Amino acid sequence: MIARRGGTDRGSDRALAGRPLRVALPKGSLYADSVALFAAAGCDVTGLADPGRQLTVRAGDIEYIIGKPTDIPIYVAYGAVDAAIAGKDVLLESALDVVELVDLGFGACRFVVAEPEDAERPVAGIYRHLGVIRVATKYPRITEAHYAERGLQVEIVKLSGNIELAPLIGLADQVVDITATGRTLSENRLRIVDEVLASTARFVANPVSLKTDALRVTGLASALAAAAAR
Amino acid sequence: MRPMTPRGFRDVLFAEAREREIVAGAVSEVFASWGYDPVDTPVVEEDSTLARGAGGELERAAFRFFDLDGSLLALRPEMTVPIARVAASRLADGPGPHRIRYVAPVFREHASLRGQARQFTQVGVEFIGASGPAADAEIVLMLLGALAATGLSSYLVGIGTGEVLRAVLDRAEGPADWQDAVIAAAQGRNLVELDVLADRAGLDPEFALALREVPRLGGGAEALERCRELAAACGCEHSLDGLSATWRLLDALGETDRVRIDFGIMRSFAYYTGMQLEAYAPGLGLPLAGGGRYDRLLGAFGAPAPAAGFALGLERVMIALAEEGRTPHLEPLDAVLGGHDAAAVLAAAARLRAAGWRVRVAPGVAGIALVREADEAAAAEALLAEAGTVVRVDRAGEVAVPLGDPLPVPPRRTWAGRGEAR
Repeated sequence: MIARRGGTDRGSDRALAGRPLRVALPKGSLYADSVALFAAAGCDVTGLADPGRQLTVRAGDIEYIIGKPTDIPIYVAYGAVDAAIAGKDVLLESALDVVELVDLGFGACRFVVAEPEDAERPVAGIYRHLGVIRVATKYPRITEAHYAERGLQVEIVKLSGNIELAPLIGLADQVVDITATGRTLSENRLRIVDEVLASTARFVANPVSLKTDALRVTGLASALAAAAAR
Repeated sequence: MRPMTPRGFRDVLFAEAREREIVAGAVSEVFASWGYDPVDTPVVEEDSTLARGAGGELERAAFRFFDLDGSLLALRPEMTVPIARVAASRLADGPGPHRIRYVAPVFREHASLRGQARQFTQVGVEFIGASGPAADAEIVLMLLGALAATGLSSYLVGIGTGEVLRAVLDRAEGPADWQDAVIAAAQGRNLVELDVLADRAGLDPEFALALREVPRLGGGAEALERCRELAAACGCEHSLDGLSATWRLLDALGETDRVRIDFGIMRSFAYYTGMQLEAYAPGLGLPLAGGGRYDRLLGAFGAPAPAAGFALGLERVMIALAEEGRTPHLEPLDAVLGGHDAAAVLAAAARLRAAGWRVRVAPGVAGIALVREADEAAAAEALLAEAGTVVRVDRAGEVAVPLGDPLPVPPRRTWAGRGEAR
């Protein structure tokens, strides 16, 4: 599938050159750091600090699209936006074709495997008797890859949120979730038993935008990389 | 319940089908003008053929099924492997090189809810039995010609090569799994991972620099020059000779305006060696065309020969044309021909067709009903076959003037595009 951005372009090279670069930013935990980084990189971020209910903000040469984090890889891969900031976790889970240009360093979190601290039946015992562990997660692809690497048979239950609840209500033996500090997990009496992977925010681009709009995309990538390194 | 097409498949009707026919025809005409001949292959291949030829991502994308004999078959996910199979079997004894063109539906499996088509049409060429800069330039020039023939106004062809990165890796003497990881990162366009891999302890700095910088290089002659410097520092500047020579040929022909050197192009199909190319339309998030050199593929089928080719994705080209407002103009129907006597209508229609008219017959229809039918068909004329002659019918459904003898040229030739001419 290809996004049809259409409308004003109408094919003339001049019209295309005058088009703003379209960049998607993720709502939620990465948003404030993303805006701060664009500002530090010298971009106009007027209107981004408090966009209210607005989902698109035009500032200078960039049209910002504010999206749900898990949707951002889709925007980029299908060419609806030229570039974006997205967490490595979301990128891995989407398994879509985007160019990963810069590791921005912020938004660090870990994917971990956790299980109840005071499990009546230890997970190892369950596995020995039932031959399969039930795992709840928001990230089925990453979870599947992790257990496959460990050679463990699992049944994956995909949930949309409050993953830490799943073991408490008997829905799962373990969970795979992201954590920055581990607090939510410990407050729900879950302990971390394995590390899956570490994630940070990345600057990514659509593969074709990187070719047809190379100067602006790589220019922005360098500016962001320099700002992130400061 | 109304029947539906399976997910990812669709029917192509009337106006869209005609527009596709025009674009595919114009591109095929360009290929024919270079002396390429058409080939049709079955939509089904033995799965083992595909596995030996394509490998990697393509093989995973194939639709597979068992036939009654228990053979594992696959719908072709692209055309290069089927054409290579033909070349390695039925054409192996003939004198080469072979210049082959095709317009063919291909099939790829996709997970649901990604909005991906599972059948699409490739319009492409394969040039088998030739190598070197002249052969590569022929491929690039044909892609440029094909893109121009589609009617697109802004497009860009990127050419690159994976040979430099492979040569640098060979000389870097890293472990095999590290080399594989570097190739995978370059193909997956993960530049962050590439930087991490280039930080490997014990790697000489000039190799690390080449691994970091080469996949990011793009532009004109200066990008080639920079790549040569980076490769030369690693002792493998010759890995760039082929692409440089191709570029010089294109440059001498004045054909580099719409061509960009790009070492970031590393197509993930396992069979590519040497030059690789892609075509882009600005604002369209996926390449319009892709291809390259695959000198080792025919060897996998026991008849080694160098080869190169590319395919345009017809659906993507049609989207790019629609985005530019340059969808091909469709000629209207010339006439709807009515009349009370079916034999007279069919006879008159035959005479009109012989005079170059596109005519839809409507035996038994006359008067205002005939006018309405002509309007619905967007035909330029409403005609009536009457007593051995053909007469025009006016807006009120009344018989107007005879068409005359000899018959005039069809309206679409004189009033092209003006449907209201009647």
